[in-house]
Amino acid sequence: MTWLVPLPVVIPLAGAGLAVALGRRSQLQRIVSVVSLTSILAASLGLLFTVNDSPLVVQVADWPAPIGISLVADRLSALMLVISSAVTFCVLLFALAQDLALGDPDSPVAIFHPTYLVLTAGVSISFLAGDLFNLYVGFEVLLGASYVLITLGGTRARIRAGTIYVVMAIASSIVFLLAVALIYSATGTVNMAQLAGRLQEIDPGIKLTLQVLLLAAFAVKAAIFPLSAWLPDSYPTAPAPVTAVFAGLLTKVGIYGMLRTQTLLFGEGPADTVLMWAALATMIIGILGAVAQTDLKRLLSFTLVSHIGLMVFGIALSSEAGLAGAIFYVLHHITVQTSLFLVAGLIERREGTTSLNRLGGLARSAPLLAALFLVPAFNLSGIPPLSGFLGKLGLLQAGVEAATPLAYVLVGGSILTSLLTLYVFAKAWNKAFWQPPIDPTQGTRLPAGMLGTAAALVVLGLALTFAAGPLFDYATEAARDMYARTPYIEAILGSTP
Amino acid sequence: MLQLLIAHLAAALAAPALVRWLGRRAFLLLAAVPAGAAVWAITATNAVLDGREPTVSISWVPALGLDLVFRVDTLSWLLVLMVGGIGSAVLIYSTRYFSARSSDLGRFAAVFVGFAGAMLGLVTSENLIQLYVFWELTTIFSYLLIGHYSERVTSRRAAMKAILVTTLGGLAMLAGIVLLGHEAGTYELGEILTAPPTGAVTSTAIALILVGAVSKSALIPFHFWLPAAMAAPTPVSAYLHAAAMVKAGVYLVGRLAPGFSTLPVWQAIIGVLALITIVHGGFRALRQSDLKLILAFSTVSQLGMLVLLVGSPFKAGALAGLALLGAHALFKACLFLVVGIVDAATGTRDLNLLSGIGRRMPVTATIGALGVASMIGVAPFAGYVAKEAALEAIIDDQAALAPFGWPILVVFALGSALTIAYGLRFWWGAFATKRNVTASLEVVRPPLLLVAPPMAMALAGIATALLPGLGETLLRPHARTYPLGEPGHLAMWSGFSPAFQVTLAAFAIGIAVFLARHRLSGWRIPWPEQWDGDRVYRNTLRRVDQTAAATTAVVQRGSLPFYLGILFLVVVVGALPGLLTAGVEANLWLGTDVIVIAASIAIVAATVLAVRARRRMKAVILAGITGYSTALVFLVYGAPDLALTQVLVETVTLVVFVLVLRRLPIYFSDRPLVASRWLRLSVAAVFGLLVAGLALLVPQARIHEPDSADLPTTAEEFGGGKNVVNVILVDTRAWDTLGEISVLLAAATGVASLIFLRHRSTERPRPGSFEEISGKLGASEPDPVARLRRPRHDEAPTRRASWLVAGVTLAPHRRSVILEVAVRFLYHTMIVVAVFLLVSGHNAPGGGFVAGLVVGIAITARYLAGGRYELSAAAPLQPAFLLGSGLFLAAGTGLASMIFGGEVLESAIVRWTMPVFGEIKLVTSLIFDIGVFLVVIGLMLDILRSLGAELDHQGDVLDEDGEPVRQALEPAKTIVRRES
Amino acid sequence: MSVLGPDLFLVIAAGVLIAGGAFLVLERSLTRVAVGLILIGNGVNILFLITGGPRGGAPIVDVTPEEAMADPLPQAMILTAIVITLALTAFLVAMAHRSWQLHRHDEVQDDLEDRRIARLAAIETAQERGDIGIVTLDEEAAGVRDETADIVEEHWLAEEDVR
Repeated sequence: MTWLVPLPVVIPLAGAGLAVALGRRSQLQRIVSVVSLTSILAASLGLLFTVNDSPLVVQVADWPAPIGISLVADRLSALMLVISSAVTFCVLLFALAQDLALGDPDSPVAIFHPTYLVLTAGVSISFLAGDLFNLYVGFEVLLGASYVLITLGGTRARIRAGTIYVVMAIASSIVFLLAVALIYSATGTVNMAQLAGRLQEIDPGIKLTLQVLLLAAFAVKAAIFPLSAWLPDSYPTAPAPVTAVFAGLLTKVGIYGMLRTQTLLFGEGPADTVLMWAALATMIIGILGAVAQTDLKRLLSFTLVSHIGLMVFGIALSSEAGLAGAIFYVLHHITVQTSLFLVAGLIERREGTTSLNRLGGLARSAPLLAALFLVPAFNLSGIPPLSGFLGKLGLLQAGVEAATPLAYVLVGGSILTSLLTLYVFAKAWNKAFWQPPIDPTQGTRLPAGMLGTAAALVVLGLALTFAAGPLFDYATEAARDMYARTPYIEAILGSTP
Repeated sequence: MLQLLIAHLAAALAAPALVRWLGRRAFLLLAAVPAGAAVWAITATNAVLDGREPTVSISWVPALGLDLVFRVDTLSWLLVLMVGGIGSAVLIYSTRYFSARSSDLGRFAAVFVGFAGAMLGLVTSENLIQLYVFWELTTIFSYLLIGHYSERVTSRRAAMKAILVTTLGGLAMLAGIVLLGHEAGTYELGEILTAPPTGAVTSTAIALILVGAVSKSALIPFHFWLPAAMAAPTPVSAYLHAAAMVKAGVYLVGRLAPGFSTLPVWQAIIGVLALITIVHGGFRALRQSDLKLILAFSTVSQLGMLVLLVGSPFKAGALAGLALLGAHALFKACLFLVVGIVDAATGTRDLNLLSGIGRRMPVTATIGALGVASMIGVAPFAGYVAKEAALEAIIDDQAALAPFGWPILVVFALGSALTIAYGLRFWWGAFATKRNVTASLEVVRPPLLLVAPPMAMALAGIATALLPGLGETLLRPHARTYPLGEPGHLAMWSGFSPAFQVTLAAFAIGIAVFLARHRLSGWRIPWPEQWDGDRVYRNTLRRVDQTAAATTAVVQRGSLPFYLGILFLVVVVGALPGLLTAGVEANLWLGTDVIVIAASIAIVAATVLAVRARRRMKAVILAGITGYSTALVFLVYGAPDLALTQVLVETVTLVVFVLVLRRLPIYFSDRPLVASRWLRLSVAAVFGLLVAGLALLVPQARIHEPDSADLPTTAEEFGGGKNVVNVILVDTRAWDTLGEISVLLAAATGVASLIFLRHRSTERPRPGSFEEISGKLGASEPDPVARLRRPRHDEAPTRRASWLVAGVTLAPHRRSVILEVAVRFLYHTMIVVAVFLLVSGHNAPGGGFVAGLVVGIAITARYLAGGRYELSAAAPLQPAFLLGSGLFLAAGTGLASMIFGGEVLESAIVRWTMPVFGEIKLVTSLIFDIGVFLVVIGLMLDILRSLGAELDHQGDVLDEDGEPVRQALEPAKTIVRRES
Repeated sequence: MSVLGPDLFLVIAAGVLIAGGAFLVLERSLTRVAVGLILIGNGVNILFLITGGPRGGAPIVDVTPEEAMADPLPQAMILTAIVITLALTAFLVAMAHRSWQLHRHDEVQDDLEDRRIARLAAIETAQERGDIGIVTLDEEAAGVRDETADIVEEHWLAEEDVR
């Protein structure tokens, strides 16, 4: 089944090319994107079920590793691919619904569709990369697309936000490139499997330096304190579907980068302690930021940052349980954060604002919307039995297992974080949904398509809860593979003809 | 049992529809569900008693030790009975209590039934985490029920209070559970209690769990949420905040006591908090004037008693506690419902306004009397039996309790005295006729469905009391599991025992206090203001909000330079430790290669000047110089492809800048802050130093052969090319290249999307949605990329006239004859060169990028010479088409090679002989390179179209109108809406 | 393998490029930022080349003997990086122009919302902003009334009044 591996990249790229060439024929464009995303989803699912203890490896252009680029689909990659393609698919449908809701099916989507496809391709490249430089390229692809998407329409707010976003991202990419260059200079390879071996043999001091450089690069993409402040300033202004997919996905690609490199290339080490503290700071300062907000979209962006801290906590524990918890939490967070931003988009569309001080009474005037908000909100706050709780539980157990003082501190930190998260959402709910509205006039009706897709994502979040058993087992196995490292390495180098 | 839970869930989901359909009558239907639970419990009684405990278990998340296991022992049995029975009674009551017109009845019913289900799950959970799951669910439902009248700030505030306090406890409890589970190696209650772990960690775990229990059961210091929760509709108060939810904490205490009640930490927490709560609650209850509040504080006080007894390590105390648990549920719910009736009938709950109600509502008054009697412990009522047993227990275990025996006894007695006092005051306040109160309230006869439920409870209170033996047999099994003391007894009359004397004393004091209530009314409890839980809560919350605002203000500067500075500093600080501890040292040597030296000097000089430059153009050109020097270095270091690309890229970059900078002001605006200048300078310097240091040290760490060692040979055999770099680009690492050209495509689209925004001031975009672009682009320019493709009507009117149309179209003062002529000669040569570079690239410097860039520059030259009409003449093909087809071609070859059974992007070498040329060798990767070639041309063309031609056009608009371009400004409306 | 590190001249050159670039990036003018990024890019590329391996001849078979060749892999990667930088620069410059169109300057402004929060930090708006005001229980209790049935009209078996 290795032929499945390149598809999540090649298909959307071909699609993007087609979409640009088709240009004006927006109907065709829509078909192209829907078809490509559907097939990506199918391919990813195929991978999810075929991948077993030995990852699937493709040597691009049949050049043997480590000379050529290896594409690797192990359990982690497969999981990430499935969840990301599912989410991107839903968001695309949401966007289409929003688009069609305009009334004229010929409204120009010439920019959105190809760029969106390139974005998905970039995400897939990153998840499949078995080669550090290729991981860099993957990041560039998805970032390049994201620059275009975040400045769509070129309004004041978006140009301002876009500037912060673009420059920050480019700067972090430069750090990333620097790290790759130095890693090659120190080891003479960029192939992950090779690096996994060689980095252990070179001078530890240099190794630590390289590790920190990579971490810094990823920390910006994943929005880890103190490199997180750019996110809340840039995400909220983008169009709802764009913000949703960015919030759900892009930060997680950074997390994926950390998961992969930390476990495979560097393993346990002094950096873990630093990560622990960073995780703590990210959680607390992030959620405090959310407490201070009075605009729903910004509030959500801050909770996003704060919960990134939880995943970093799992990574920093560098134990099987920790990784498993982090992986599961990533799955949960991608889905739930995305759906929350979509709902925020719906609210904005209905009421014309997302300011908590101007909203009100939605619980009565829009019960369905209220439900669509309440469920993921509680889910994110870690209210049992929802997936957020299960992920948190996994992390707490891992922390207690580690039983170091610092681990206990972080357990306390995550507890505090979820309490404050609940406070934030209770406040938001009290204001936007319960407090009497300023003007009790009915908002604009929401197109069924948008509501439907948002609901679908919320349901997907709930599905995570019901399927938690097998999912968590899968995550644990993925963690075990990563922790063991050997399956991955052998899969790449063993396949040398 | 599982069926019961599912039934509750189903009923909850169906409730809104039912209520819409049947109105209030739906409550009767829904009442059947909890009633079912109660009935089930009764049928299961024997099984529970002789230890054949009904058990169900389903696997959920084994990885987390989280399985759904339900088990019903006597303790659970008792609570199931309470939850189910009282739940159904309250639902029946609600059918008449609420006005048929009252709002959100459907939602209310749904949440109420949902709560009943959660409670049922809680008291039957065998797995601790599962128990926590239901625990939190009850919190959530109670939040939604307290906030039922959501338009009232009181309700919202109370709901927030309840959810925050109980969740705080809950989360502490979760941490405790995880710790305990880790210590015990299991989350199954049965296993944990049979072999309870010990040690510091366990004690911490237990303490944390108790925090949860205490917060849920509204003990000091968490008690304050309960009185506030009276903002909920009275049926909710009766059920959640008297009978069911607050009992969850007591249940948990009673559940864990057999295993852990001997721990010092346990006894300290339970003892101290319970005793304080008993007294505090009692006193506060005495001083309320709102009937509901009296009951609320009495609940607080009595929860103290319950926790004290159920949490004691003694068998006898436990038995009394369980009895009191049941009794309290009955009489407290009953009394709340009675208050509800009075409230509904008279329109007030203020005992200063109520007078003579007893005479007008005899039935209700009687029920109230029965309830109060049970509460204050008059024979023959359940309350009496329980209290007597409790006193017996405390007195019998004096020895074991020492030295705390007496204080406990005294406080308990005081507690019951206070109960008697406020109990009497309650009934007096609700029903008695008061001389001083003249307010004649209109009172009406309550319907039977409103009276029946409290009546039933009151009678049940007597019934259970009349056969104490039965109660004992039912409750003994659990009480037996407690570690210490002799098993106690439940009896109506156990002689003129010390316990009975205490009771008499309590009555004496209680009645005295009641009679002296007017004199005592001014009297306050010695309780420091700042310790008042409510106040603490408010201050904490305010402090949280302030800290949040403060920290966010510090961290979230919203300034890009600030963020970037942090990034640079983080990199420097982070990299140093490893670098300093590295076991390699740099070997410093100065090369003697003249070109390198020259290039380096040029670079340094140009950089310094560029940094100091105040004119945009100057800065850009200096940057270009550094670029060309870099190319020189590449050349010397054996990278001709790099050098070539670098030169071309640098040129293109210059073109791009020139195209845009002609629209921007000539000079940079100065930064106002000179002080920050030095700061930024030092940050930048440190960063540069660090990178230089890395460059010197890191290479020394290499001990392995690079992977590329045998690339050259394989490149020729396998990749069929002599130019290794090109083989890498289009074959070995074509995967990277594929990604790279998609970046080009994205960037090109982005440039177009940012420039082709016109005629927007008329549109009113919908905020926060991407169709905004459609609005922004306006009708005449619907599709940015499309208008790249479609020659504008005013474009290239005279294509056929001459191929350098500038002569016709360009304003004379803009023309430069020499340039035009030069271009005329150069253009086609350059195209030919490009094609050659493309084809030969595989074996000599060149390749798709280079070729594409050359073509691009050729077109640029024609554009510069002939203006934008010339551009459309020079490049009839549309950028979008080139970009798209290029990427499609490149990706397509990838797919094709897979279809032909190879790996993705695998190349093949095709040889054939042609008459004239002889043998021709074609490497399929050339097709891929052509894709690259097209994309690069597309990018160049796109840049020229948007940054070149389009800006010309907008510029022209500007010239013709003679006023600044307005199209960029947003409609005022949207600004208002977004900045709000 | 080479014990010989990179040429100090080039290291300095790269360092200066990166420092200068970093300084410009910390400016507010987008044009300067763009120029800065170009400088840094050049610096990193030089660094990539000189640290990637020993200096050698052009990696073209039949032009340079294999053992004398420079390591081609870094070259390929640098080339990719160069082109990506070009694309992003173009976009950045376009953005600078757009920003100029909108604001008549190309400077990066601070985030308004963040400024607001900063102001808010000074003032105590916590309690006005809603759900944590100070009211005594009795006052609250007085305000709490359920939407109860006015039992006057209806007998306990009375028909449901239809809305």
